Amino acid sequence: MIDQIASLGRSSIELVISFGRAGRFLAGVLSGVPRPATGFPLLLKQLYSVGVLSLAIVVVSGLFIGMVLGLQGYTILSDFGSESAIGQMIALTLVRELGPVVTALLFAGRAGSALTAEIGLMKATEQLSSMEMMGVDPLRRVIAPRLWASFLAMPMLAIIFSVVGIWGGMLVGVEWLGVFEGSYWGNMQASVDFWDDVVNGVIKSVVFGFVCAWIAVYQGYDCVPTSAGISSATTKTVVYSSLAVLGLDFVLTAVMFGNF
Amino acid sequence: MGLSSYISLKDVVFSRSGRRIFDGVSMEIPRGKITAIMGPSGTGKTTLLRLIGGQLQPDAGDITVDGHSVPALRRKALYALRTKMGMLFQSGALFTDLSVFENVAFPMRVHTKLPEDMIHDIVLMKLEAVGLRGARQLMPSELSGGMTRRVALARSIALDPELILYDEPFTGQDPIAMGVLVKLIRDLNSSMGLTSVLVSHDVKESLSICHYACIIADGKVIGAGTPAELQNHPSEQVQQFLQGHPDGPVPFHYPSSAAAEDFGLAGDVL
Repeated sequence: MIDQIASLGRSSIELVISFGRAGRFLAGVLSGVPRPATGFPLLLKQLYSVGVLSLAIVVVSGLFIGMVLGLQGYTILSDFGSESAIGQMIALTLVRELGPVVTALLFAGRAGSALTAEIGLMKATEQLSSMEMMGVDPLRRVIAPRLWASFLAMPMLAIIFSVVGIWGGMLVGVEWLGVFEGSYWGNMQASVDFWDDVVNGVIKSVVFGFVCAWIAVYQGYDCVPTSAGISSATTKTVVYSSLAVLGLDFVLTAVMFGNF
Repeated sequence: MGLSSYISLKDVVFSRSGRRIFDGVSMEIPRGKITAIMGPSGTGKTTLLRLIGGQLQPDAGDITVDGHSVPALRRKALYALRTKMGMLFQSGALFTDLSVFENVAFPMRVHTKLPEDMIHDIVLMKLEAVGLRGARQLMPSELSGGMTRRVALARSIALDPELILYDEPFTGQDPIAMGVLVKLIRDLNSSMGLTSVLVSHDVKESLSICHYACIIADGKVIGAGTPAELQNHPSEQVQQFLQGHPDGPVPFHYPSSAAAEDFGLAGDVL
C-alpha cells in the first residue's frame, strides 16, 4: 500500500517535472526574435514539409468524411422529411467539430510523428549538438520554424478539410441522392454564422495546431537518442496529441457553444 | 604551462545520474599544441569535451577557455566563444539534408555576411585541404565513414577557429582512413596554429601526433606529460592502459558476488 502511494507520488512528480521542462522548452523556442532574412526561408521550407505534404491526406479524408456525412445525413433526415437540411447539417458538423478535430488527428499522425522522428534522429546523430558547438541555437534554427509552420499550417488545413468535406457531401446529397441544390446551399448559408461557427472552428484549429506542434517538437527534442527512444517518442507524440485534441475539443466546445 | 594555457580545468567535479564522472580533475591544455586526452571507454572523455564547450555545466570547479570562465558565461557570450571553436564529432554529425558543399558552407552562412562567390571559394579551399573538393555535390548518405569525418573536419575549420576538439576521430576507421586523419590533424595544427584537443583511446595514433597527453581513469587524471614521459610513467594503471594488458589495476572481471554463489554451489566443495 505504502509502495503504491510512493509510486503514485513519484509519477506525479515526474509528470510535473515533465510539464516544467516542456514549458521551459517552449519559452526558449518562443523567446528568440527570428531574423526575417534567415527565418523566412526556413519557415517556408517547413510550411511545405508539414503543410503542403499533408494536403493529400487531408483532402482525401475530408472528401470521404463529407460523403459519409451526406449518406448518413440523408438517411436520418429523410425519415423526418427534412433531407433539404442536409447542407446545414454537414456544414455545421464539419466547420464546428470534424474539420478542426479530424485534421488535428491526421496532422498528429502524419506531420507530428514525422517532426518527432526527424528531430529525434538529429539528436541521435549529434546534429543538434554540432549546431550548438557552431554557435547556432538549435531551438531557434531547427525547432522554432517547425513549431511556427505547424501553427500556421493547421488552421489552413482544417479550412481545406471542411471545404472539401462540404463539397463531398454535396456530391452525395445533391448529385447522387437528388436533394435540391438550392436548398443544400441556401440552408447552409442561412444557418452557418461566420463568427459563431467558422471563426470558432478556426480558433479550435489554431489551438490544436499549437498543442500538436508543441508536443511533436518537444518529444523529438527530449527523446532518448536511441532507436528505441525515438520510436517511443514518436508513439507518444501521436497518443498525447490525440488525447490532448479530444480533451481540449470538449473544453473549447463547452466554452464556445455551451450557452451557460 | 600557466601563461601559455589555452584551456584550463581546475578541480572539476561532474556527476550524471548519480554517478561521479569527474572527481576534482585539473589540467592545463597549451596553446597551439595537440593535446591528447586518453582513457578507457566510459571514463568521460567525451563528457570532458562537452564541459569545455559549455554544453554541460560542472557541479564544482572552473573551466577557462582563452581566459573566459565557460560555466559563468551567459548564453550569448558562450555562443560567441563557440565561434572560435570547432568540434569534430565521433559520428561526423553532418546535416543529412544538406550536401557536402552546403554542410561546409553552413557556419559561414550563419555567422558571416560574405558574398556567395567568396563562400564558394572558401568552401572549395576547405574541401581541398581535406582532399574532398571533388565530392562537394555528394549527400552525406553517399559518403564513407572516413569521408564523413573529413567533411566534418572541413566544416569545423570553416570559420578558422582557434581551438578544435576531436571526439574519437579514429574510431571505426580503416588503416588508410586513419592515416589520412592523423596526417590532417597534424597538418591542420601546424599550418593554422590551432590548439587541438584530441579525445581518443587509440594509443598509438594519438601518441604519434600529440605534443602532450593526459590519461583519465576513475574520475581523475592518472598520468600526464609528453608521450615519452608517459611511456616511462611509473603508474601501473597508466602502463596497463598504454600496453593494453587485459588484467591489472583495471580488473578483467566486472565486480560481482562469488562465482560459487551465482552457480548455486554455495556450501559445496569445488
